[in-house]
Amino acid sequence: MSEEPVLIAHHLRRELAGDPPPVLVADADLAIMPGKFTAIVGPSGCGKSSLLYLLGLIDRPTGGQLLLDGHDLLTLSGDERAQIRLEHFGFVFQFHFLLPEFSALENVMLPLRRLGRLSPRAMKDRAMALLGEVGLAEKAGKLPERLSGGERQRVAIARALANNPRLVLGDEPTGNLDSVNSARVVDMFRDLAHNQGRAVVCVTHDPAIAEKADIRVTMLDGRVTEVRDQTGATQSATSAT
Amino acid sequence: MIDRLSLLVHIAARHLLVRRRQTLVATSGVAVGVGFFLAVSALMVGSQNDFVRQLIDVAPHITISDELRSPPPQPGVQAMPDGAVELHGYKIRNEVRGLKDWQRILASVSAIPGAVGSPSLSGAVTLRMGGRDEPLGIVGIEPGIEAKVSNVADKLRYGRLEDLERVQGGLIIGEDMARRLGRSKGDIVAATSANGSTRSLRIVALVKKGNSQLGGSTGYMLLREAQSLLGRPFIINRIGIKLSDAYAAQDVAKGLEATYGYKAESWQERSADFLALLLTRNVIMYTVVSAILLVASFGIYTAVSNSVADKRRDIAILRSMGFSQGDLQLIFVMEGLALACIGILLGWCLGWGLMQVLGSLEFSVGGDPQHIPLDQSPRQYLVAAAASLAAGVVAAWLPARKASRVDPVDILRGAV
Repeated sequence: MSEEPVLIAHHLRRELAGDPPPVLVADADLAIMPGKFTAIVGPSGCGKSSLLYLLGLIDRPTGGQLLLDGHDLLTLSGDERAQIRLEHFGFVFQFHFLLPEFSALENVMLPLRRLGRLSPRAMKDRAMALLGEVGLAEKAGKLPERLSGGERQRVAIARALANNPRLVLGDEPTGNLDSVNSARVVDMFRDLAHNQGRAVVCVTHDPAIAEKADIRVTMLDGRVTEVRDQTGATQSATSAT
Repeated sequence: MIDRLSLLVHIAARHLLVRRRQTLVATSGVAVGVGFFLAVSALMVGSQNDFVRQLIDVAPHITISDELRSPPPQPGVQAMPDGAVELHGYKIRNEVRGLKDWQRILASVSAIPGAVGSPSLSGAVTLRMGGRDEPLGIVGIEPGIEAKVSNVADKLRYGRLEDLERVQGGLIIGEDMARRLGRSKGDIVAATSANGSTRSLRIVALVKKGNSQLGGSTGYMLLREAQSLLGRPFIINRIGIKLSDAYAAQDVAKGLEATYGYKAESWQERSADFLALLLTRNVIMYTVVSAILLVASFGIYTAVSNSVADKRRDIAILRSMGFSQGDLQLIFVMEGLALACIGILLGWCLGWGLMQVLGSLEFSVGGDPQHIPLDQSPRQYLVAAAASLAAGVVAAWLPARKASRVDPVDILRGAV
């Protein structure tokens, strides 16, 4: 496979204010491949979530480079970053984060409406189709409080996919789910990568998920210590200075 | 753009709908503010308009009298205006009092569209009865013309202005003075002028009580009878002018005075002290009602501020989804705007209701039933709405700015 990486992090660094500044992410180098399910693992506080938020343009790095299709993302304004999140990124968090006043269908339609590229009719059809894919077509009109934890997370996944993002980022997406729902979500993520060609990046401390990933990125103390391609041999072992 | 806006409106509306109690408190705050603003300003502006109308109507819009604002310049000064001459102790030439060329003045007044000029002669007489003297200012008028210039005809009791023409030696005096003299309509009083001539006059009508400017110590007679009583035949010393636009009086007066040299006093000049008083009154009123509206906007601030605090998670997730900071700010500003708009509509209803109640009240002035003068013009509604909207936007903008600055990272990671 000679596919180009969709997202490249080069010496990505995130420090907090302080003296000496606490380092959340230290000079991370990473290439996110389309069609692959990448898992970022490591002990609590190793900076894996921080790295994910940097990759997802939610947080701003204090140093390094981040390239989407070869374009530098760090010089962009806040509004431009928001637009890229809207078009290219889909997020799934540990907590479902559905808007409580909106039905499942309306929640899925939020990114569609914000992007505004489809007719209202087409938006609704797409949202219904996505809910169908996660097996919740018949619960489209329900408010989040009337859904179970697993169902909510599946609505959140459908919402993350609304604008057909090229990258799907998960922050402990199974952290609040039982093993059955957890396995189901992981299968979905693998499907998104392998059959839909998206780049899927998932932060997790669940070894079962890490096992199923194509690429496993291990972090310790803010550093990427290992990038292992689990479909074949170890790709590289980075240990930046 | 429209899509985006409708989406943000949708989100804002949902926020307000789930927080009904806060929404209700905030909107009723605005409603009470707007309602009382309307009621108070209707009262204040209404009574002011009424008062100003009385100031205007009580006398002609402009009065030209045979006075000069400064003595006529001496021939020496006239010949050499720039000469460093100062004159002291000169004797001012005696002139016959009265308006010279008054027909010409009248003609130029008539040339102004919608303007009417009424010539009159005023002077002092003494009413004598039973050993007592009552001083009386006599105004000789042409009833037909004077009725067009002043509203004295509307303020009469028992008679009409035209009765002056029908009765030999007819006189109209104030009700109070008639009572002091113990006379009423149809009775005869004796009037003595300064030059000693005495005539018997018959009271043909009375000026109602409560019109002190018109009938306090003034009596009305026919112009030519007044001229003969005062011993000044063919002389007039006052021209009252009514204009179609009362507010043009100042300019017209200035023009007439420049042309003829006689003092032409507009109603504004005549009532400058009252008008200054009204200005103070307006400042007080707008201070108070602005405070009402300002306090109402605190409710909006609290409501939006709480909404922002409650919705930090939603803000974070919307940001991660690709909503911009501007989007979030707009959502919460629109919440404030919606609260203000609903409040304004309710306030309009409340204000309208209050005005109806105030307008229906009746009270008595000088024995005549009267209503409180109210200004119910749409301008008041617009002013109240504009002021509340402005206050509401500012009140919502402060917390909305905070909403747009929420850092999503902390919330998304350390979620509830």
